[in-house]
Amino acid sequence: MSPLERDPREADLLDAERAVAAQVGAADAVAPVGTGTHREVGGPPPAGVEVRAPVGVVMYDPAELTVTVGAGTTVEELSGILSEANQECVLDPRDATATIGGTLACGLSGLRRLRYGPLRDRVLEVRFATAAGELVRGGGPTVKNVTGYDMPRLLVGSFGTLGVLTRVVLRCQPRPMHAQWGHTSDDPATVLARSFRASAVLWDGARTSVLSEGHPDDVVSQIATLGLEAQEGPPPVPVGAHRGRASVAPADVIAVGRSLDAIVGARWIAEAGVGTLHVACDEESTLADARQAVTQHGGWLLREEGAPGLDGFGVELPNAALMARVKTAFDPTNKLAAGRLPLAPREDARIAS
Amino acid sequence: MTPTKLAVDEEALVACVACGLCLPHCPTYRVTGDETASPRGRIAAMRAAHTGVVGLRGEFTEYMDLCVQCRACEAVCPSSVPFGQLMEGTRETLAIETRFVPWWQRAAYRVLPRHRLLVALSRVGAVLQRVRLVPRRLGLPKLALRAPRLQATGSDVWLFTGCVMDAWSRDVHAAVIRVLGAAEVGVALPDARGAGCCGALHGHAGLESDARSLALRVMRAFPGDAPILVDSAGCGAMLKDYGHLVGAPEAGAFAARVLDVHEFLAAHLDRLPTPTRRFEEPVALHDACHLRHVQKAHGAVRTVLAPFAEVRELDDEGLCCGAGGAYAALHPDMAAQIRARKIDAIARAGTSVVASANPGCTFHLAAAGLDVRHPFEIIDDVLTSS
Amino acid sequence: MDRALLADLRAALGSDRVRAEPLELHLYGRDAGVDVGEASAVCFPATAEHVVAAVQVAARHDRPFVARGSGTGLAGGATPVGRPVVIVTTHLNRVLEVDEQQRLAWVEPGVLNLDLSRAVRHLGLHYAPDPSSQQACTIGGNIATNAGGPHCLAYGVTAAHVLAVDVVLADGSVAMLGGVTPDQPGYDLRGCFVGSEGTMGLATRIAVRLTANPPEIRTLLLDFTSIDDAAATVSGVIAAGIVPAALEMMDAEITRAVEDFVGAGYPRDAAAVLLIELDGLEHGVEAQVERVRAVGSSHGARTVRVAADEAERALLWKGRKSAFGAIARIAPDYYLHDAVVPRTRLVDVLRQVYAIASEQRLTMMNVFHAGDGNLHPLIVFDGREPGIWARVHAAGDAILQACVAAGGVLSGEHGIGLEKRDAMPLVFEPADLDAQARLRDAFDPSGRANPDKVLPQGSRCGELARIPEGAWV
Repeated sequence: MSPLERDPREADLLDAERAVAAQVGAADAVAPVGTGTHREVGGPPPAGVEVRAPVGVVMYDPAELTVTVGAGTTVEELSGILSEANQECVLDPRDATATIGGTLACGLSGLRRLRYGPLRDRVLEVRFATAAGELVRGGGPTVKNVTGYDMPRLLVGSFGTLGVLTRVVLRCQPRPMHAQWGHTSDDPATVLARSFRASAVLWDGARTSVLSEGHPDDVVSQIATLGLEAQEGPPPVPVGAHRGRASVAPADVIAVGRSLDAIVGARWIAEAGVGTLHVACDEESTLADARQAVTQHGGWLLREEGAPGLDGFGVELPNAALMARVKTAFDPTNKLAAGRLPLAPREDARIAS
Repeated sequence: MTPTKLAVDEEALVACVACGLCLPHCPTYRVTGDETASPRGRIAAMRAAHTGVVGLRGEFTEYMDLCVQCRACEAVCPSSVPFGQLMEGTRETLAIETRFVPWWQRAAYRVLPRHRLLVALSRVGAVLQRVRLVPRRLGLPKLALRAPRLQATGSDVWLFTGCVMDAWSRDVHAAVIRVLGAAEVGVALPDARGAGCCGALHGHAGLESDARSLALRVMRAFPGDAPILVDSAGCGAMLKDYGHLVGAPEAGAFAARVLDVHEFLAAHLDRLPTPTRRFEEPVALHDACHLRHVQKAHGAVRTVLAPFAEVRELDDEGLCCGAGGAYAALHPDMAAQIRARKIDAIARAGTSVVASANPGCTFHLAAAGLDVRHPFEIIDDVLTSS
Repeated sequence: MDRALLADLRAALGSDRVRAEPLELHLYGRDAGVDVGEASAVCFPATAEHVVAAVQVAARHDRPFVARGSGTGLAGGATPVGRPVVIVTTHLNRVLEVDEQQRLAWVEPGVLNLDLSRAVRHLGLHYAPDPSSQQACTIGGNIATNAGGPHCLAYGVTAAHVLAVDVVLADGSVAMLGGVTPDQPGYDLRGCFVGSEGTMGLATRIAVRLTANPPEIRTLLLDFTSIDDAAATVSGVIAAGIVPAALEMMDAEITRAVEDFVGAGYPRDAAAVLLIELDGLEHGVEAQVERVRAVGSSHGARTVRVAADEAERALLWKGRKSAFGAIARIAPDYYLHDAVVPRTRLVDVLRQVYAIASEQRLTMMNVFHAGDGNLHPLIVFDGREPGIWARVHAAGDAILQACVAAGGVLSGEHGIGLEKRDAMPLVFEPADLDAQARLRDAFDPSGRANPDKVLPQGSRCGELARIPEGAWV
C-alpha cells in the first residue's frame, strides 16, 4: 500500500478510479468525457462508451503548495477550495466549468501563460486508466521529481488517446497580493521589452492590454512605467460560431495579427510573448482563411469549436511515426478517444500476431 | 611485477571526489574537451598508475606531460586537492623512471642557474635574432643586445632578480627599483652569481633534487630578515613554496619573507607621490596563474594599478594563457590554442595594452603580437612623466 | 569485434575523433557518481552529422551507446554499461543563436550551463536552471537528468526551459521534438525526452528559454541553533505565501566544511543555516525580506544577514555550490541521495535520516533545496575502511525507504541512472514501471540507447506479446 492511500478520501478515490479502469478495460471503444466544454477541440468527439473521471479534492495541504484531485473535478470547484487558503492553481481554462482532466487532456494553456508557463508545468503526478484496464501512476507528488520518465507531460495534451486521467496532483501557488489590468496603444513588443514578469500581454491589433500581478506598489509602478490606463478585467476574448487557436513563433505575432486583420470577419486577440492567437468568426470559411494565414507564417491553427468542415489540426503531426509508436505502446487497439489525433494507421508498424 | 609508486601523498591522491568542478578552469581541457587532459582525469590516471592498473610509459606520460601546471584547478577545487604537488611528485617519478625529461631539456635547465652563461647565450641569441637565424615559432621575446645595469639603492628590501627574468627582462627590474625608490624604499640586490635561478622550471619538470639544491643556493643569497620582493609570479610562487620543497624550518622562515612586489607596494601605496595623470590607454589585466591561483596576490595588482591606469578585467575567470614556464616552448601547438582563447578575451576587453606580472606570460602573449607590459612598467611610466 | 567497430567509427568520424587507448577508456569508465563501467570506444563528434554517424555505426554493430557531457552526473547516468560507444559532447559546444526578442537560444548539447548564462548576460538575460555544478555541467546533461538547482524553486526545472530538441534516435534517424511555437500538435515528446537520461536518444541541438534578470535580488543568510528551527522556518516562509527564488539549507558539518573553503562568513557554530533568495520588483522584494526576517526570528534564528552587495551574494552562493566537493575535507568518499519529501515532512524525515546515520556509525551531512523538500543526505566515509561499503549501502537504503514512506520520491534532480535504478520499485507498482518501459521502447525499440539505466530489470510485463491479432498500430 502506498502511503498516500492511507487518507480515507484517497481510498475512496482509488476505488472510484478502479471502477473507471474496469470500465475502460471492458469497452471496445472509449470516449472520455468531462463537462463537455472542450468536446470539439481537435478532432470530432469520439464514439464509444462514455467514461467519466472521479470527482473530488482528496488531499490539500496549503503548506505543500500541492493539491490532489479526482480528474473529474471542475476547475471552478478546485479554485474555490484553493482560494480559501489564498492559493490558486493556474489552469485558466476558457470556461471554468471544465473538468481538470479535460483541461489537461486538451493541453490548452490559459491567458497567464506568459508569466506562469504552460499548463504542462503545473502537473506533478498523474494516474490514468490504461486501455488494458489497469491504473498507472506517473510522476510524483512532490514539487520536484525526476524519478522515472515524465508521464504527466506525455498525458497533458494527449486528448485521452493514451489513457483516461483519473487523478492528478497539481502545483499550487500563493495568489498574488494584487492584480490589475491596464491598456495602452503601444505595440506589444515595446510593452514586453519594458515590463518585468507581466502575467499577460494581450494585443488585438490596436490596443495592448497588460495584466500586472504582485505587490500593490509594484503593480502601480509597473502600470505607471508602461503608461497604462487601468481597466476592469481582461479584454474580451473573441467568441463566435467558429473558433480556433493559432500557435506561432512569438516573434511572428505582430505579422500574423496583421494578416488576420486583413481577413474580413476574423476577430482575434494575441498573447504577445507567448505566440498564441485566439481567433473567432461567424463563417466557417473565415476560420479556414485564418488557418491559411497562420500556416504561411510557419504556425498552425487548432480548431476549438465549430467549423465542422475543417480538420482539427490542419497539419500532419510532427514525428508521426514516433507518435504512432507511443500510441501503440499504450493503446494497441486504438480504442481510446479514437480519431482525436490525426495519427494514421501505419502498415509498417503493424505487429504480427 | 609491483607497480612503481608515484612520489605523491596518497591521502591527496584519494581526496579527489571526481565532482568535475575543475574542468572548465583547466586550459588543456577547455581546448581538447578530453577527460585525459583534465585535472580530474589526470588524478584518476595517477591513481591508476599508482595502483598498477597502467604503466608509466606511453599514454600515462603523455597525459601528465600535457598539463600546463597553472594550478587553476587547485584554486577552484572545493576539496582543496593539492594538484600542484601531485603533478610535481608524479613528474619526479617520471623523471627518475622514464625518459620523461630528455637530455636536451636537462641541458637547458642546467644553463638557468649559470647566470653568466645564460647572459652570454642570450647575447648570442640577440645577435642571431637580428640576423634572423632564430625561428619565430620558438616564441622567444626580442632579446636585448645590452641590458641596463642595475644599481642597489638601499637595504629596506631585497629584489629577487632570477635567471631568465634578469637576462631577458632587466628593464622590469629597473622599473621596479625606480618605483620603489619613489616610495622611498631602498632596494638591495643579490650577487647575481649567488641567487640566480629559483628552480621552478626544474620542479615543474620533475627534477626535484635539482630544484632543492637551487633553493638552498637562493636562500643563502638573501641573508638577514628584510623582505624579499619578487617581480616574476612564477618565481615568487616557487620561493614561497621553499618550506614545502626543502622541508626545513629555515626554509619556511625564508618563504615567509617572500612577497610579490605588488603585495609589498599595495601596503605602501600611500608613500608614492600622487600621480598627475593616468596611463594613456586602458589596461587589460592578465593574471598570471602563479599569481592568482597559487600566490592569490592578484588583488594587490589591482590595488597598485588603480591610481595609475584604467584597469579592464578579462571575462575568462583567470583562465591560463598557455605560457606555463617552459610549456610554450615544449608544447607550442597546445600553448597557441590555449593562447587563442586568451587573445579573444583580451579583444573583448577592448584595449591593446595588456599588463602581466610574469615573464613567461609576457613572452608568450607578446609572441602573438600583443603589447604586454609589467604593471610596474606602467606605474613607472606614469610616475616618471608626471 | 571491437576492431571492426573502431574501424567503422574512425572511417565515419575521422581517426582523431575516436579513441580506444586503455587508460583513456579507463578514465571514461565513470562520471561523478560511484559506479564504474567499461567503454569500448570514446567518440568526440564535432557536428550533429558526426553524432548520427556514430549512432549508426553502433546500430550496425548492435552496440549500445551512451552520451557524456562533462561527466558531472551523480547517479551514474553516463557510466558505460555493456561496453558501449561513449559519445562525448564536449566538442559540440557552440551557442548557435541567441534570439533576444523571443528570449531563447539555440545551443549545442556540450555548451556549459554557466557559459550560456555568461553569453547572454549583456542582454540582461540568463538561463534559469542552475545546478550546483553549473560552471562545469553541460546543457545536454541537464536535459538528460532534467536538472534542477537552487533557483528551480521559483523558476522551474530544466523541462520548463527547454522548447525544442533535435534528437538522434537509436536507429540513427533524427527528429525535432517540440518547437518554438508555444504548442505543437500531438504528444509532448519533448517533455518525455527531457529527463530520459539518454535512454530515448541523444540531443544534438537544443532551444532553451532565456529568463530576464530580476531588477531586485536579496540574498539572506539565517542561522539557527537547531535543525528543527531551520526546517520550521522553511515551512513558515512557504505558509506565509512566499515562494522564494531559492531556499537552501545546510547543516552544521557541511557549513563548517564550506566555510573552510570559501570564507564567506557562514557561522561555524550554527546547527543549520538557511540561504534564502528573494527576487522581483522592488516593493515586493522588500516586503518579503521583512516577512522572512519575521518568520525566521519567530522560529529562533540567531541572525538574519542580508548580503550587502553582489560580491557578498556571489560569495554566499559559491559556498553553497561548492558543498559537495568540499566534503572531501572530511573524508575521501561520499554517497549521496537526492530524494524529495513533502515539505511538511522535512523535520520528521531529517530526524530519521540522522538516526539512520548514527545507527550505522556513519558521518552524515545535509545540504539541500529545502524549499522543494529536495534532500541531499550525504554520507561521507573512507572507502578504504574494511566493511564500510556495506554500512553505507544499508544506510542509503534505509534513507530512501524513510523518504518514500513519508510520501517522497527517489530523485529530485540527479536522475535515477544506474545508482537508484533498483530502488524504482519502492515508488512504482509493476504496472507503472511497465508503462514507462513501453514509452522507452517506443523511442528505442532496440534498447541500445544507454541500456540498463533508469528502469530496473523486469520492468516489462510482456504486455506487447499479448497484443490482439490485427491490432491497429
